[in-house]
Amino acid sequence: MKLNKSFHIYGLFQQRMKIKGILIMVMLIVFQSAQAEGEQSPDFIRSIGKIYVVAGVCLIILVTLFIYMIQLDRKISKIEKRQKNE
Amino acid sequence: MQEPTIHLSFRLAAWKWATMGILIAVFIAGWIVPLKSGIIKVTPDKAAAGEMLVVDVTGYNSSFLTDTSLLRAWLRLSGDTVIMATRIQVTGDRNLSARFYIPSVFPIRQEAYPLTLVLDHSQDGTSVLPNAIFITPALAQDTSELKLWFKDKIESVHEKAGIQYPFRNILAETIRNTYFHVPMWFAMIILFGVSAWYSLKYYQQGLIDFDRKSIAFIKVGLIFGLLGLVTGMLWAKYTWNAYWSWDVKQNMSAIALLIYAALMVMRSSVEDDMQKARLTAGYNMFAFGLLIPLLFIIPRMTDSLHPGNGGNPALGGEDLDNTMRMVFYPAVIGFIMLGLWMSQLVYRTDKLKGNQ
Repeated sequence: MKLNKSFHIYGLFQQRMKIKGILIMVMLIVFQSAQAEGEQSPDFIRSIGKIYVVAGVCLIILVTLFIYMIQLDRKISKIEKRQKNE
Repeated sequence: MQEPTIHLSFRLAAWKWATMGILIAVFIAGWIVPLKSGIIKVTPDKAAAGEMLVVDVTGYNSSFLTDTSLLRAWLRLSGDTVIMATRIQVTGDRNLSARFYIPSVFPIRQEAYPLTLVLDHSQDGTSVLPNAIFITPALAQDTSELKLWFKDKIESVHEKAGIQYPFRNILAETIRNTYFHVPMWFAMIILFGVSAWYSLKYYQQGLIDFDRKSIAFIKVGLIFGLLGLVTGMLWAKYTWNAYWSWDVKQNMSAIALLIYAALMVMRSSVEDDMQKARLTAGYNMFAFGLLIPLLFIIPRMTDSLHPGNGGNPALGGEDLDNTMRMVFYPAVIGFIMLGLWMSQLVYRTDKLKGNQ
């Protein structure tokens, strides 16, 4: 029997994990790129009066808020879809 | 079946437009306003007394070349106890070397004397680097040199024209983070407060809608708290030299976030909706009651790396100047309004989901 992904508990779990996986990946990439650049030139982030710290902070805030908004959007789409099917 | 038509409509409540406007203004002003001039480096940082000393100074946002005639430099021991540079040679907009004669005797007796470098330029204004050079005492002390310390005074200093944020050592450009990191916490506290208010309403009236509202505010409040923590960690790495230095405010805010995260976990483990709502309401009011000592009382009772802790109230005196206030307060209001807007969206989504 084919499992209906969106109604089966395992499918829901899988989808949840997918979103979480993407979040974790983004975090890892951000931190790793910060570290990699640190290795290239030890003072990259500290150059120009540490302005890249401000850039990083703004980026973290904007990216997180956007990811949250996208997730909310998907949630609403799902509800709309279900409403249409009824 | 009818083809769904897409209506592009930008009709939105006025306060939501205001939120966007304020935040865009904050991001622009937070980024484009320059810093005042400052000093980032002085070499050498150690010297002996009773000798001629030539120090190389590296400036920040400085324009030494524009007007070299009125450039003055002092080394300050304390208050009016200063010596003035005998000659200043400018090698670039950011570099100069100053010649001092360090007297062999000091008005006070110490193992080593930390001296503060003060620069004054007709256009850049005054820049200060505390503890720029450490002087070790001279072997042969000539007491007649004592009067050299009191010959010069730091006076008729200049002020840089235009709108600038203050230059602070160690912080430098990261002073701009005040507009992005700090409002996260303000927004979180307001959101948790509104949530506690709805929990109280639920306790009084028992309507499931109030439970939904309080949960929406907690969800968004947690996002803001997490953002505050992560942005704070990044800022701390480049100013306090570690992502986490076990500062009392860091610890307490992490505990506060864990308390609210525990609320979400507890909530998901109860199956009955009424029981879930009642438990949440009780726990939520308790959690908000804990938030106040955790974030406002305990950090003030001990030493902390955060400004405004260990006794003195925050946002006063040296921490914020008037230029920064003009951006900081809108930033706080803007992020709080954004939080309320996001919580409203979450609440509406949850309501739609619950009605199905």
